[in-house]
Amino acid sequence: MKSACKILSLALALVFCLGCFAACGGTDDKTILIGGSGPLTGANSQYGDAVLKGAQIAVEEINAAGGYAGYTFKLQMIQDDCGAVEAENAYNQLFDLGMKVSIGSVTSGSAKAFATAAKDDGIFCLTPSASADDVIAVGNHSFRVCFGDPQQGVIAADELVTEKGFAKIGVIYDTSDTYSTGLYQAFEERMTELEKVKGTDYVVYTFTSENNTDFTQQVTELKNFGCDAIFLPIYYGEAALIAKSAATHPELKDVPVLGCDGLDGIAGQLDSSVTAEVRYITPFDINSTEANVAAFVAAYRDKYGKDPNQFAADAYDAVKILYEAMKAGEVDPAAAASEICSALAEVLTGGTFKYSGLTGDNMTWTEGGSVEKEAKIVKVQ
Amino acid sequence: MKKIRLKHYINYLILGGALALFVALDLLGALKRSDASLLTQIGYSIILAVSLNLVVGFLGELSLGHAGFMCVGAYVGGVLYNMLIPACGTVAALLIALPVGGVVAAFFGFLIGLPALRLKGDYLAIVTLAFGEIIRTVILNQDFFGGPMGLPSQRFGDRLYILAFALAIVTVFVSQNLRRSKHGRAIQAIRDNEIAARAMGVNVTYYKLVVFAIAAFFAGVAGVLYASSTSLVQSTNFSFNYSIEILVMVVLGGMGSITGSMISAALLTFITVKLTVGLPSELAAIEPLVYALILILAVMWNNAPFLRPLRVKLHDKIAALRDRILPHKEVDGSDAAATAAWDTIPTKIPMDALLSTDFTVDHSFDADRPEKEEK
Amino acid sequence: METLINGLSLGGIYALIALGYTMVYGIAKMLNFAHGDIIMAGAYAIFVVIGLQGNLLLSAAALLVAILLCVTLGILTERVAYRPLRGASPLAVLITAIGVSYLLQSIAQLVFKSEGLPVSTGAASLGSVPFLGTNLKVSSLLTLGLCIIIMTALTLFVDKTRIGRAMLAVSEDRAAASLMGINTNFIITLTFAIGSALAAFAALFYLMQIPVVTPVLGSLPGIKAFTAAVIGGIGSIPGAMLGGILLGVIECFCQSVPEISPYTTAIEFGLLIVILLVRPVGLLGKKRREKV
Repeated sequence: MKSACKILSLALALVFCLGCFAACGGTDDKTILIGGSGPLTGANSQYGDAVLKGAQIAVEEINAAGGYAGYTFKLQMIQDDCGAVEAENAYNQLFDLGMKVSIGSVTSGSAKAFATAAKDDGIFCLTPSASADDVIAVGNHSFRVCFGDPQQGVIAADELVTEKGFAKIGVIYDTSDTYSTGLYQAFEERMTELEKVKGTDYVVYTFTSENNTDFTQQVTELKNFGCDAIFLPIYYGEAALIAKSAATHPELKDVPVLGCDGLDGIAGQLDSSVTAEVRYITPFDINSTEANVAAFVAAYRDKYGKDPNQFAADAYDAVKILYEAMKAGEVDPAAAASEICSALAEVLTGGTFKYSGLTGDNMTWTEGGSVEKEAKIVKVQ
Repeated sequence: MKKIRLKHYINYLILGGALALFVALDLLGALKRSDASLLTQIGYSIILAVSLNLVVGFLGELSLGHAGFMCVGAYVGGVLYNMLIPACGTVAALLIALPVGGVVAAFFGFLIGLPALRLKGDYLAIVTLAFGEIIRTVILNQDFFGGPMGLPSQRFGDRLYILAFALAIVTVFVSQNLRRSKHGRAIQAIRDNEIAARAMGVNVTYYKLVVFAIAAFFAGVAGVLYASSTSLVQSTNFSFNYSIEILVMVVLGGMGSITGSMISAALLTFITVKLTVGLPSELAAIEPLVYALILILAVMWNNAPFLRPLRVKLHDKIAALRDRILPHKEVDGSDAAATAAWDTIPTKIPMDALLSTDFTVDHSFDADRPEKEEK
Repeated sequence: METLINGLSLGGIYALIALGYTMVYGIAKMLNFAHGDIIMAGAYAIFVVIGLQGNLLLSAAALLVAILLCVTLGILTERVAYRPLRGASPLAVLITAIGVSYLLQSIAQLVFKSEGLPVSTGAASLGSVPFLGTNLKVSSLLTLGLCIIIMTALTLFVDKTRIGRAMLAVSEDRAAASLMGINTNFIITLTFAIGSALAAFAALFYLMQIPVVTPVLGSLPGIKAFTAAVIGGIGSIPGAMLGGILLGVIECFCQSVPEISPYTTAIEFGLLIVILLVRPVGLLGKKRREKV
């Protein structure tokens, strides 16, 4: 056994050395490597997968149109399973591969870790979908394409209270998820500003996505509260289960549901039993008649055989924004990553740069890295 | 004069040699950043596996909550970094965090050791599992610990792997010396037959608590290392699955074998990380499949009774090969006798007793080689 | 009251899964970690058969298909993964079971992707009956009723039939049982088959309550049911039932209070520790005398 161990350890060391030297070749001179990480496998892989596919379409479009300044774009996304350490591993790997710019990571926790790691090297991060403010607060190299959690929480509260005038709102959110807690906290703050009292004007029940799959109890509590609207700042899988569970109660059958951009994709999860109106805040409407959206949706369906969601659209926009900003700032693709980074940050916050894409027209960015664009509230058909 | 025997130093040689090799590569500039961070992860995986081996291999109790202790260490480390770094700088913070994280985790290890006095086998296993999950759930819901986003921590650059390997050597040192001391023999006596050990006057209570506390201490140290290697300590990392992964390292390495734990920890971490970052995104989906297959096949190869002749054959071949390469290896009688005497102390583990309360398969009449040989 | 009913119907599902765990543990003396994933496989089978246009008749047909698949899968894993390791250390078997669990999950993910697939079992069409001022879902009643029937049938089977007693014998002492002319391999395979058939039932009732299939569907209820089995005393059939229902009720009571809800898991596991400290073999477990 001892000898087996020795041989194994030797083999390990050897593999290491080979690994060290084999990949030292460097990247092709005429490509710009866009890095990113996301949940490509596992429980949340639909999000990472959508980002990868959306971004890939943008890269192919850019390359087909001749690339940028004689360079072609290359996208490399690495699995991070929504974890911080995994995102850092992915970052290190991409760094070693010669990444020039990045689309950060897909989910908030890993995007924060990714952006923190990128800060010291000065690698630009433009996350398509990580909505927590912590992500862009890491540094002035970190930007996002999607709405932030606070923005959406406020929009939701205003919509439910000011616009529609609901008097009793039931909320169910996920305490184990950054996105969900971020949305809920912003919502609660806004409700306090609107002088609404927790317990009488609205009630809150929680679950943890890693420990709950059954929402019967929470829905029963909402029914007992007698709410006339339900706010679900969560992802669509759980939201669909809650909506279906609510549909089994006569009292909740027709109570409208409002969600945030995480609800994108819920349409495929609902069945005929759900008759209530389900709406969500999103910058991207798949049924939009605008030419660029229709073209993207067609290309996505054609290539992957399914409908794009908001993650895919955000990722497409992220790559396009990188491209447009490079053009606007006349960035030299051969320059060091940190120079590209500061040039891009200057362009985005410069005040003159505006981008119109799938997820909004005339997007601009604040110094903090947050995007300014218009929100739509989409109704699920 | 006491003879220096390679067998007692092989673990240090492997770890020290690997460390020297990588430092040399690093100085030559050939160590890439992804490799350096992988090495740190391998370092703390080794600490985790070797310390869990104390509980599972030496004491003979199944623990499914090792990641819970690591979680304690990691959060203590993160909190201390946030408090201490502004006051006294990073190095001092690290030096304070390592022992404090370990001691806090050891305290929890002591707590978990208490039910171990009353429970055995599966029941204890599920209590350790429950403990790990309780710790994680409580931490997840405290805003003080950063909630679901995680606790911001301090990253200590690319050279952290040197510290990780140094601490791994310390862990191996403690573990190996504990095993060779009179205390170690008492612990193994408890493992082999608790009632008999008690009858011989071994203080079972004391030793069980000590082993749980020591193992938890090192898991806590590994946790602090973890906190030093990442910018965000997230409780999701320390789930039940991670405890299982550590257990897998120990079992694949051969329960009770420190060298085995070390090597399988290094290999498994290497495989997991390399599969994750190395596979192109289209193939990322097969990563868990490959991992599962490796796991099943490795366990089969190591343990399946029907493969035993094959293993023996391979073992003999390797031995023959070794003798050909190193013909002058001192295999004189006295040494062999000493080795044999040494080997009889850590006898075979009554693993059946570990998981089942009553059912034991007795292999003592097997005409085959004794278990020890193939581990 | 409503909380209690919700808890009972959730607990019924846990109890069904726990029965599977406890059967296999009691006789084969191994923790079948892949049990939850066999449920997952059964759920996918049901999904493939009924999809979105489910009604009750179709669900019954789907259950048959699921039983067939689960039993095949159960026997297959037992033959391929566990039997070669018979006589090896239980820990090795435990790790293999974990490996099998990962394997089943990753295969499901490759085939069906990780996104949840909605299923309509037609459970909603059963409607609900008014009961003490609340509405009682018929599907919940069905789950509980079936759970009790299965439990009674299993107890009778084990106690009264020849094969059942052979199972008991194998459970008591495998070596002695085989000396008495019992085909232990057959008995263990049969145990796995029964456990897997229970998993198929659990899959259907799980989908009636939670109508979505994912590759990780089985792991969480698996762990909870395992906890339930230990609370009740692992190896004990009524214990599994009791533990499962207890856990379901506690879970629903915790979730009805927003302040406590995030700590549900901690409370469940805390209860487990307390129960084990008071009664080290679980609520209904049998004490065994330790011998040297």
